[in-house]
Amino acid sequence: MIMASKASVKPSFETTAWRFMRYSGILLIPLAWFHVYLQDVIVGVHAIDIDYVAVRLADTGWVIYNFLLLGFAFAHGMYGLRQVMFDLVHKESTRRVLSILMLIFWLVVTAIGATALAMGARPELVQ
Amino acid sequence: MAAPSTPLKNTVKGYATYMGREGHYAFLLHRLTGLGVLLFLTIHILDTATVYFYPSLYEHAIELYRATPFMLGEIGLLFAVIYHGVNGLRIAVTDMWMPKRWAIEKQRKAVRLTLVVAILLWTPGALVMLYNLLLHNFGVDLLAMLPFGK
Repeated sequence: MIMASKASVKPSFETTAWRFMRYSGILLIPLAWFHVYLQDVIVGVHAIDIDYVAVRLADTGWVIYNFLLLGFAFAHGMYGLRQVMFDLVHKESTRRVLSILMLIFWLVVTAIGATALAMGARPELVQ
Repeated sequence: MAAPSTPLKNTVKGYATYMGREGHYAFLLHRLTGLGVLLFLTIHILDTATVYFYPSLYEHAIELYRATPFMLGEIGLLFAVIYHGVNGLRIAVTDMWMPKRWAIEKQRKAVRLTLVVAILLWTPGALVMLYNLLLHNFGVDLLAMLPFGK
């Protein structure tokens, strides 16, 4: 009997992406739940202002935590959106155009978020 | 003549009319919560990035989040994040460790269980958020109203 798991086939992009969805999803359960519970429940939006963000973004540990969230959660969400789109659009050329648009959107928003995370808050510029 | 059917129409019709009971509802709720969280997440990344790019704008963004409709939305967001995670875990765990549990009767039970677990994990947070909403936006302190309150 040939074991499917022993066959050496180079995984396609879709296979790798599928694996990413599963493992990032499992990782996001502690990461995202703790983030939302901490900021929205324990701290609360009424206690959050730019000074609060500045203090947190001055802490390397929280910056790393936020980078993980940005990297895993947004990629997970955008790939999920692509799967929803594949359900609704069956034409190959349209799928490709929309996939590329989503890829660009993902890169731009991730770059904006990553820049802000790396540079930190600038409360001194508030007028 | 009826309008020609397209993949879009067929899929949306399938979402609405497929009679898959629990599995069907779990699929729809997974999609809905996933898309909802993605919408919020996109806005959240961009508005939080203003702390570096346009700090004066950040206070306005936070003020919006403090408004009553947004706070109610955040209570819903908490449920969406929790449900999407619990349901995703059901799928991953069944797939990886107990594929025999894909049997339809077992999955119907599992889907009901995910909903119960999600509601249990959501309720404490939702109550705290509701308390904060009433306190900050309506001046009502629920804790002070308790006989043993402050």
